Amino acid sequence: MTADAAAKSAGANKGPLSGVRVADFSVHAAGPFAGLMLAELGAQVIKIESSARLDITRRPHTMYGKPPSGFEQVNANKMSITLNLKEPRAVELALELVRLSDMVLENFRPGVLERLGLGFDRLREVKRDLLMVSISANGQTGPERGYSGYAPMFAAAGGLGFLTGYPDGPPVELRHAMDHTGGVMGALCAVAALCGRASGPAPSGVTPAAEATGHNRGLHIDVSVRDVATAIIGPALLDYAMNEREQAPQGNSNGAASPYGVYRCKGDDQWVSIAVTSDTEWQGLCRALGDPDWTGEIRFGDGYQRWLHRAELDRRLEEWTQQRTPWEATGALQAEGVAAFPSMSAGQLMADPHLAARNSFPQISHPEKGRQHGVTPPWRFDQTPARLDGWTPALGEDNDAIFHGLMGVPLEEVRALQEAKVIW
Amino acid sequence: MTAGPYCGKLLASLGADVVKVEPPVSGDPSRRQGPFPGDVPHPERSGLFLYMNTGKRGITLNLEDPQGRAMLAELAATADALVHDRQPPACDHQGLDTETLANANPGLIVASITPFGGWGPYAGYPAHDVNVFHSGGEGWLLPNGLALDTFPDRAPIAAGSQMGSYQGGLTAALGVSAAVYARANGSPGQSVDCSMQEAQLSLGYVPIQRLEEEGIVEDRFARYFRIGGVLPAQDGYVEMLTLEPGQWQGLSRMLDGPEWATAESFQNPGQQRDEINAHLREWFSAHAKEWLYQEAQAHGVPIAPYYTPGEVFHSRQQRGRDFYSGVDHPAAGRFEYAGPPFRVAGAPSSPARAPLLGEHNRQVYEEMGYSPQDIVALARAGVI
Repeated sequence: MTADAAAKSAGANKGPLSGVRVADFSVHAAGPFAGLMLAELGAQVIKIESSARLDITRRPHTMYGKPPSGFEQVNANKMSITLNLKEPRAVELALELVRLSDMVLENFRPGVLERLGLGFDRLREVKRDLLMVSISANGQTGPERGYSGYAPMFAAAGGLGFLTGYPDGPPVELRHAMDHTGGVMGALCAVAALCGRASGPAPSGVTPAAEATGHNRGLHIDVSVRDVATAIIGPALLDYAMNEREQAPQGNSNGAASPYGVYRCKGDDQWVSIAVTSDTEWQGLCRALGDPDWTGEIRFGDGYQRWLHRAELDRRLEEWTQQRTPWEATGALQAEGVAAFPSMSAGQLMADPHLAARNSFPQISHPEKGRQHGVTPPWRFDQTPARLDGWTPALGEDNDAIFHGLMGVPLEEVRALQEAKVIW
Repeated sequence: MTAGPYCGKLLASLGADVVKVEPPVSGDPSRRQGPFPGDVPHPERSGLFLYMNTGKRGITLNLEDPQGRAMLAELAATADALVHDRQPPACDHQGLDTETLANANPGLIVASITPFGGWGPYAGYPAHDVNVFHSGGEGWLLPNGLALDTFPDRAPIAAGSQMGSYQGGLTAALGVSAAVYARANGSPGQSVDCSMQEAQLSLGYVPIQRLEEEGIVEDRFARYFRIGGVLPAQDGYVEMLTLEPGQWQGLSRMLDGPEWATAESFQNPGQQRDEINAHLREWFSAHAKEWLYQEAQAHGVPIAPYYTPGEVFHSRQQRGRDFYSGVDHPAAGRFEYAGPPFRVAGAPSSPARAPLLGEHNRQVYEEMGYSPQDIVALARAGVI
């Protein structure tokens, strides 16, 4: 038995969401990432796709040409079924799947599901206690609810983009990580809703406003990725509310302590991050550098002086880092208790001994490509391990298992519906 | 730290009863960081603390004291989950080791949020937000586009506003919730080790997959949008990203169909890329960002303005969905706070204010069985 097969059959260790079924209508970035989180946590996530409009991750990318990398990971652990939701019979099948599921996940533009006959109110007619998470660019309400966007736009309109960049430069685009952060927020809302239902009428755990809405009447949670970005600049918004001050981007600085930044090292495009926020850390840094005379100068004598003279301090420190590789600098500084770490490339990450010791890039078998590395789920549960244990399914791979096995549609009818481009 | 408090804030905003445990007298270090109203420092008026701790109850407890650690175990016995952000070995000295806590409450979920996780060669490495962000791969890949064109020789940068710490706290909140769900369905108590570096890897898995599948180490010079991206406007910047042919056609209409904005130039800009971007930068810089935003969206073109914090605070979309709500605080006064980034249809979402230092000592310790006289004596002894 291979290691993967052993892991799959080790029924005793199931993820924390084992037994939860999610009908996943999501199609781009944030939604599929929310589904990935739930799937890594052990939920059965059934991805509903259609040949009529392929998921963007199954299509050649208009900018990069080929299907973008990451396709294998973002739909890992999921099942795939196909439904052409323009067909009335496909909508009926979708309703039946929702009835048999614990949760619906979607990230269409607001209004699209209603037009397909699958809006929250309609779904609740087949499942009174429906839990549904909708993830969108701007939210389900408000004057710009229908506006389109991608990750950099959520960060831009949400204010996080403006606060990312060099102090004297233009703002900086945030990419997939912004989408995915919205996806984690969606997954958190999904699990919180499940907790609320599990704990009944007098919940002790996490319950998203269950009492206000009456949980048995279902729950529709509206996640705006733009709001997710804005929540990250909450303190800057309070600065505006308190002092009408517009905070500015700070590069790598935290705006209060020095040295705090990223410094050039020996080698091509090699950098180390160093952060000193207390006198103790400063003394450690001085020791790591061998107590050169300049560290004793009065202008570096306390945190305030170091902040005032940070440009000169950065220059001095960079003279030291430039003589060293990122790991030499990190080793010397960490030995003295100073927060320092290389700015890591993907290649460095995949060769890193700490991440190897934690098996952060588990190998998963792929039917065509052989064994490939993925990225670990970001939690280590000691009783109910989260897992990455199967790559993205082929389009419609699980049609028989779901339509026939779960929903009881006779196999001949499944074939006929495939022929009629309903299951398609 | 930001990650742990943000995790607790999210759980509180989802309805959990979150009790924040602070050291006596000094409290959470964030109480000494601004912003402060009128720039006057005060431990009850830190905007950072007030924002990060909405919806929580607050108690003080001295974990350096044996009696304090015993009381932590008693508190843990009443809880569903305990979340902390102490790295090893400090966590073991403060009564936060898994064994002690499991003895106090076998059903407890114990989640730790640390830069590199609770075990492995770097587990004890201290790290601040900038180190965490650059440890995960995304920092080395930023910036791209206009900022990189402007400053190609500078150091790569972390996302603003300590984003990496928020991502760590958010990811941990999901892990804690999943463990709470599992326990409600028959699983035992357990520990959840949340590495902020691994949260970064998970969110930023795309470059890892590119390396694995294509053998390409993407760097920030290779990662750019061929057309558009950050574009200068008359009064700031906008972001433009056209991924679909229809969006490009909309842009062409919005620009009144110049000869450089053809369908071919979108599909395969090749050599013309620099020329097209030069045209775009020139055209966009003659217009205000809000006009560009509304005009573009009317043409089906994905464009959004880079709003400053003040513009975000007044944005009609977020005002239109009641994203901000006024929060009264006895020491800091009344200010509008950014709300949670989710809405439950029909439910109000305004957050409750952050606690004063030790505000709920009496309430929480009485719930644990201490008398008012005990609480006075514990305070005098420096335990709470």
